[in-house]
Amino acid sequence: MDWIDLLQDALFAAIAAIGFACISRPPAGAYWCCAVIAAAGHSLRYMLINSPEIGMHIVPATLLASLVVGVMAVFLSPKVRCPAETCLFPALLPMIPGIYAYKSVAGLAMCILHDSPEEFDRYFSLFTFNGLTCLCILFVMVLGATVPIFVFKRVSFSATR
Amino acid sequence: MISTTSMTFDDRPSARQVCVFLARYGTALLGCGATCIRLEKNIDRIAASWGMKTSITIMPRHLHITVTDPGSDDLFTAIDEVSPAAVSFSLNTRLSRLSWEVADCHLNYDNTVERFDDIIANCGGRLSRGGELLLVAAANASFCRLFGGDAVAMAVVAVATLAGYYLKILMLEHHIDVRVVVMASAFVSAVLAAGDALFGIGSTPGVALATSVLYLVPGVPLLNSFSDILYRHYICAFSRLVDATVTVACLSIGMCGGMLLMNQGMF
Repeated sequence: MDWIDLLQDALFAAIAAIGFACISRPPAGAYWCCAVIAAAGHSLRYMLINSPEIGMHIVPATLLASLVVGVMAVFLSPKVRCPAETCLFPALLPMIPGIYAYKSVAGLAMCILHDSPEEFDRYFSLFTFNGLTCLCILFVMVLGATVPIFVFKRVSFSATR
Repeated sequence: MISTTSMTFDDRPSARQVCVFLARYGTALLGCGATCIRLEKNIDRIAASWGMKTSITIMPRHLHITVTDPGSDDLFTAIDEVSPAAVSFSLNTRLSRLSWEVADCHLNYDNTVERFDDIIANCGGRLSRGGELLLVAAANASFCRLFGGDAVAMAVVAVATLAGYYLKILMLEHHIDVRVVVMASAFVSAVLAAGDALFGIGSTPGVALATSVLYLVPGVPLLNSFSDILYRHYICAFSRLVDATVTVACLSIGMCGGMLLMNQGMF
């Protein structure tokens, strides 16, 4: 695994988090928090998947990375006096399985557009594989990120104090 | 700067006043994208600091709140409608801070209402249109890079996002139904992103096409719905999930339409 690639991954995840954060209008002070958390979470997932020693599957790697994102959001949000969700959600967005979602929608559309049973089977298999992977990633991503808010309830809900 | 006065026993508001205010406060908080647990905690915090007890039913589009004054046994119920608004973490933050100010600084009822009205009137948090467009385009281009897109794909995605997001802002300003807006924006972005494959200018046209519409993914409702499930607010969770699913379906329809128009294969 190349360190330059890892740094690039962190940088682009941070830019993506800042850009997507502005859609949900966070307080100005929360942008740096979103960027730091997204960079840490996404580069951790990148390392877990691409490191030859670890080589983890994308689903458990996403779970671990989103747990780190959740914990960081809970403990960094009091620094900027905003709810943990403000830092958490934009930081999580770069991990959304966009390509799997695209391929599952495309698979479904091709199933409908093709008549022959062989073609249908092929695209149906693509639809189910990508759809299931996408759902699993989404599920563990949201689970990993929201469980820290649930566990560290006292810190999470007094961040704006 | 608003001056504040600490609450004395004589300032204690009636159950009716508290109930009407908390219904307004709750619908504003729910409308800006707060989770149900945050809503419950904030409302309970404010009510407790005024010596009241609350019971809340959170419905997807309505908030039903009952306030009881244990001192006088007065009981009042209000139902208020959640106005559909854009997600605003800035408003969420300021309303949450207000609940702590009431609890910690013992703000009286009049000061709290005044401060609440000020927050609603000047909720802020929104960047200039140009700044927002550029940041969203840069974010989606970065997204494309994270999925393995090359420099050409990133540039194409940035342009497709600029056009699609600008259309989204314009259509929303004209109060067009949000589902139609998502469909139209996804269509425009997909048509522009198909240019990468059509002119053969890059080596990852599939990634450009797939990521060109991702700025429309309803991330906040999806994540909120899971938080609501954890705290057993199943009705709200289901409602947010259905809302997010409908948005994803509209996005898919728009994207497929764009690809069909440009005669692009999906794999």
